[in-house]
Amino acid sequence: MEGIMRILTDPYYIQVLTLTGIYLIAALGLHLITGVTGQFSFGHAGFMSIGAYTAALLTLHLHTPLILNLLVGGLAAGFAGILLGFPSLKLTGDYLGITTLGFAEIVRVVFINMKITGGTQGLAGIPKETNLLLVIFVAVLSVWCMYCIQNSRFGRALMAIREDDIAAEAMGVNTLNYKVKAFAVGTFFAGVSGGLYAHLMQYLNPFDFGVTRSFDLLNFVVLGGLGSIPGTILGTTVLTMAPEFLRFVNKYRMLIYSALMVIMMIFRPNGLLGGVHIKDLRRVFTRRRSTEMASQ
Amino acid sequence: MEHLHGFVQLLPQQIVNGVTLGATYALIALGYTMVYGIIQLINFAHGEVYMIGAFTGLIMVTVYKVNFFLAMLAAILVCMSLAVLIERVAYRPLRNSTRLAPLISALGVSLFLQTLVTLIKGDPNPLGFPEVIKDTVYQLGVVKFSLVQLVILIVAGALMIFLHVTVKYTRVGKAMRAASESYEIANLMGINVNRIISFTFALGAALAGAGGVLVGMYFNSVNPLMGVVVGLKSFCAAVLGGIGSIPGAMLGGIFLGVAEVMGVAAGFGTYRDAIAFALLILVLLLRPTGLLGRPIQRKV
Amino acid sequence: MKKKELFAYLLLPLLAVALVASGCGGSQGTSSGAGGNTIKIGFLGGKTGNHAHYGIETLKGMQMAVEDINKAGGILGKKLEIIEGDHGSNSSEAANVTQKLITQGVVAIIGDPTTGITKLTAPICQSNKVVMMSAGAVGPGVVEIGDYIFRDCLLDSVAAPAVTKYLAEELKWKKVALVTTTGLPYSEGLTSIFKPALAKYGIKIVDEQFIQEKDTNFSAQVTALSRKQFDGVIFTGYYTEGALFMKEMRKQGLKQVMAGGDGLLGKELYELGGNAVEGSMVYTGFAVDLNRASGKTKEFIEKYKAKNKGALPDMFSAQGYDAVMLVADAIKAAGSAEPVKFREKLAQTKDWQGVTGNITFDSKREPIKSPVYLLEVKNHQFVVKTVIDIPK
Repeated sequence: MEGIMRILTDPYYIQVLTLTGIYLIAALGLHLITGVTGQFSFGHAGFMSIGAYTAALLTLHLHTPLILNLLVGGLAAGFAGILLGFPSLKLTGDYLGITTLGFAEIVRVVFINMKITGGTQGLAGIPKETNLLLVIFVAVLSVWCMYCIQNSRFGRALMAIREDDIAAEAMGVNTLNYKVKAFAVGTFFAGVSGGLYAHLMQYLNPFDFGVTRSFDLLNFVVLGGLGSIPGTILGTTVLTMAPEFLRFVNKYRMLIYSALMVIMMIFRPNGLLGGVHIKDLRRVFTRRRSTEMASQ
Repeated sequence: MEHLHGFVQLLPQQIVNGVTLGATYALIALGYTMVYGIIQLINFAHGEVYMIGAFTGLIMVTVYKVNFFLAMLAAILVCMSLAVLIERVAYRPLRNSTRLAPLISALGVSLFLQTLVTLIKGDPNPLGFPEVIKDTVYQLGVVKFSLVQLVILIVAGALMIFLHVTVKYTRVGKAMRAASESYEIANLMGINVNRIISFTFALGAALAGAGGVLVGMYFNSVNPLMGVVVGLKSFCAAVLGGIGSIPGAMLGGIFLGVAEVMGVAAGFGTYRDAIAFALLILVLLLRPTGLLGRPIQRKV
Repeated sequence: MKKKELFAYLLLPLLAVALVASGCGGSQGTSSGAGGNTIKIGFLGGKTGNHAHYGIETLKGMQMAVEDINKAGGILGKKLEIIEGDHGSNSSEAANVTQKLITQGVVAIIGDPTTGITKLTAPICQSNKVVMMSAGAVGPGVVEIGDYIFRDCLLDSVAAPAVTKYLAEELKWKKVALVTTTGLPYSEGLTSIFKPALAKYGIKIVDEQFIQEKDTNFSAQVTALSRKQFDGVIFTGYYTEGALFMKEMRKQGLKQVMAGGDGLLGKELYELGGNAVEGSMVYTGFAVDLNRASGKTKEFIEKYKAKNKGALPDMFSAQGYDAVMLVADAIKAAGSAEPVKFREKLAQTKDWQGVTGNITFDSKREPIKSPVYLLEVKNHQFVVKTVIDIPK
């Protein structure tokens, strides 16, 4: 308990936790696209940057309230998702992946060349309006949304697409339509996360949203457990915290991290909690409790 | 108007520049395309194999003082063994898992090699390449050719022809094509699929190794992160040409190289990296399997 | 049933918090910097990664300054202590590292030596009321972030016009080609400073080319330049690209030399560029020039040489040294190590003599430094070509 209190008062831990929450929101969006629907996206950070810049520019120029800006940022990212999604979701697998990667790179180059975004100098002076409580609130809300989506008719259609899109089509699921919708929702989350990021960091630079960041997000989703919300939460938490804990081996940190990526995949190709749902977790607990009771 | 005039005047020279750049993309793109053709994996570590090739060449030239062709041979051998090792350790155990698992594993290998070389070298700053080929410049009408450029074009061309012949007309090439159709059937036909996949990796790595030495020498710079951007762009070239297709990778590479140089020459230098990706998206939307790719057959 | 499940989902993030809590509870205790037995100063920079050289040199200079101060009895009866914050040249980690330094109770943070990361981390220092003294962020928009943010480097807006004047009046340059590294804040900033300066001193820009960081192939840009007449190249990027660009120029038979800012300052320039960069000019706020060095500077150079097997200090180590000394002097003058108090004294610094020369903070807290050293590559070495005094 004392530990929790310390963390909730220590600005360093607050910072790390806030970032974890922000990444979690973006990762949940990617979870819907990649984990649930089975579509590759290697450019999630690009959508995050669209949300970040939109929200930050609204705050700076129109002084509208944060919640509105986050929503508009999310919508802008979602709109970009639809725009990219319609033509490119006809592509499959790696082709889609590389298209999204390319799209994110183009977005980055465009931001670099725009005047209003401050170009390479970056966008500075964004007021600090993100705090841990807000991020926890949004993150919890996102988890709830994601849970509801996954357990709805819509979510089941998406999973059907992941398992076999031809069969899904045969069952009357309009796959392209559903894929685009999943893409739109997923990128909306990325946009909201970007908006929060902008108002936490108070400074945006197109370089913060490069390929590396996109692949980091993909790592969160895949290493945690593809298609599992608890997995995405675990993956994001562990991988965001890991660099902080590994600080003592600073020099070899990235070496360990990258080796772990390979080893993890070899021994648990579906991620830590791949295919694990909250139901399963509960089953483990209840089973243990019943055996405890039996022994008493 | 004056601008346009200058642009047209310099066009032949810019095309030469573009083709040279494109030839290096093509050499690396071939590795991506062959591996993808046979195991449907974007081998993200391929760019790092190319980087290791460049470093091997540099070490051979500066430490062991061998000549350029021996250095290239050494780089090819090192890269081939490295690629076979990577396939054995990081990809083979994952052959029957989801599509994303080997992809993440490939990213891990790529990051691992970058970090490892940076650690060994001490910093990520580039090293220069000694002048192993005398830099003579030939004037041919309105265009200038440097000797290095000629060597790149000749070596790249020869390697590509060699590759094409290997895949098209030899027994092992036939086996590669069979394996890329179906592992099981290839297996039933008495083909050792594992060995064929290793061979494919080795072949792709050989080209990347040669490419690394050529590029290191031409641009006079070798650094631990050199494989990242070049790797991504070469992959684009492979997709542009139609992944899995060997002439496609060559065409895609040259096309991308020329387009990039033209973009810069026309004054879009600030959009250079976007050019490659914009082209890629455009081509994919019009021809979803690339310029020379076969249409994807979806099996029910 | 379903409700319970949902509840469990909502609890998960909180569980994650608890996980971290148990993981990191009980580590180092925090103490407020002003209250403890030492005065803590943070180092922010990359000891590894792309800009490791800048970080390592800055830290070396800082350590020398702390050693000197502590040998002389410390400040206000307390010893000075450096807390190192290495972010591995990684901007996404820099924010966390800065926050960690502040948690550990530093009163001032020296660094980061690059503009990008300084702009990212300065708001954190500002909102926590901790002084930040960047020893290298030369780009625009740094001290505007807040009144706790300072820098002690030679500003391009001071140096570039002075150098342009020299190029126009002494070297008689009339026409130049301007090469900018797009996507590099430093380079774009410097270009925007050079442009009006060139216009002011009557130098015409005959062509503008754009390259990118980590690019190695400049054939297209150089070919485009090959039909133009010009006296020299103004190159606003870093040394790696500068060296390779000049190599390509020589390859295509162009003979002009280049001039640029301290982004070109690095032994890699002539190591990579070889003969192609002979005669190229680079300006800097610090150079080892024993003919002109003051006693303080000479002493610094000697000490650095003794510690580093005879190697000479560069701009970053000297600025790191000065940064610590500036903060220390402000703390002394304020009689307090509380940032709220010594910040004001720091802002009033005037005609302060450091190892990098004379420093005055103007009304906007921007450093006005003199002199500017213009170096030239000669026989694969940087030698001082001229020293330009900046009028106050």
